[in-house]
Amino acid sequence: MNELLNRNIKEVIAEYPALTAVLGKFNIGCVTCSAGNCLFRDIVTIHPLTPEQERALFTAVAQIIYPGRTVELPHLTRKTATRAGFAPPIRELVGEHAWIKRVITLLPAVNQTLAAGLDAAQKQRVSEIVDFIRNFADRFHHAKEEDLLFKYFDEKSELLATMHRDHETGRAHVRAVVAGVEQGDAAAVAEHLAAYGALLTEHIRKEDEILYPWMNAQLGDAQIGRLFADFRAVDERFGGAPARYQTWVEQMEASLNQQRSQS
Amino acid sequence: MNACGCPGSQAMDFRKKAEGAAAGAPAAVASELGQWPIQLHLINPMAPYFQNADVLLTADCVAYALGGFHGSYLKGKSIAIACPKLDEGQEAYVEKVKVWIDEAKINTLTVIIMQVPCCRGLLALAQEAAAQAKRKVPLKYVVVSLQGEILEENWL
Repeated sequence: MNELLNRNIKEVIAEYPALTAVLGKFNIGCVTCSAGNCLFRDIVTIHPLTPEQERALFTAVAQIIYPGRTVELPHLTRKTATRAGFAPPIRELVGEHAWIKRVITLLPAVNQTLAAGLDAAQKQRVSEIVDFIRNFADRFHHAKEEDLLFKYFDEKSELLATMHRDHETGRAHVRAVVAGVEQGDAAAVAEHLAAYGALLTEHIRKEDEILYPWMNAQLGDAQIGRLFADFRAVDERFGGAPARYQTWVEQMEASLNQQRSQS
Repeated sequence: MNACGCPGSQAMDFRKKAEGAAAGAPAAVASELGQWPIQLHLINPMAPYFQNADVLLTADCVAYALGGFHGSYLKGKSIAIACPKLDEGQEAYVEKVKVWIDEAKINTLTVIIMQVPCCRGLLALAQEAAAQAKRKVPLKYVVVSLQGEILEENWL
């Protein structure tokens, strides 16, 4: 079973599709992951399972992979999750995700308006969305997340490499949206906005529900204090811009709601 | 039983029964205390060991109740102790915590209190100081039961 734990999770799932339901039962959602090349061992460790849940998971896995055989179940070393809730810096990142999710929620309505083509008003709206994604989500939020938080962990690990790949894929979708606007290609704009929304929805879920709780448990108080101070420096560097983007999100929601109620 | 029924003063006996106690002499546990003095009236909040430090503000009774206090909480941190029920001149305490935050530029502040209601005063005092301070620092509180269990541990 130890050999299995050192294999890529996606390979294992492909070989034993019945594992999908077992992993799902323990809220391990690797089946839908865009990369899925984390080690099975890392995936089990990063999820907040109790020793009893871990044993139940391995028992169910063993029944699928080694039917009718008695195998020794491994016990993975995991740092006991701290009793504390999210530390202030992590809470901040989750709060910023909430603003990004609010914009993602608006994308289907924006895409509906693109069905008739790209007029000047729609180009302006899409440009504003791109501006939010590039400056609030990417530069401001990732200045904290990618440039500071992730540096406390092994960035060569598959877990973080997957997060970085998601960020790069998101940036590629945004470049494609900009190209679509320049070429007047409404279909391409809609396609890449939708793809960005789907990618980020899943990406943020993974961070909020799995990665951040795990990171929160690993960080010591001294590291949390340093992150908090470094985040204040980022806030100072960006000045009032993040608050202006939050106001823009509220205005955008109001504008689309008004359009919906009129149609 | 205390006549007024105050849970902070009520007598209780939770001595371990002989069969439950560990056999033999306990192993020596190294102290993690890295400074002196520790009483909040006596400390200088600008002392070198408070500069940029992770600081514990601990109710007097905590270190007696919490078996793993040195290894789990004191290690790597600077400390001050106080009793929010019995100590006088607590305005000075608020000022000292503000100096920690604004001038000694502490990294984090962890307040550890007992579960008895009067101990909440120490957390309130720290929150008041943090609210008055110009700098912001992560503030955590830990609540310890009378028998040394961690009942709550949360960042504010």
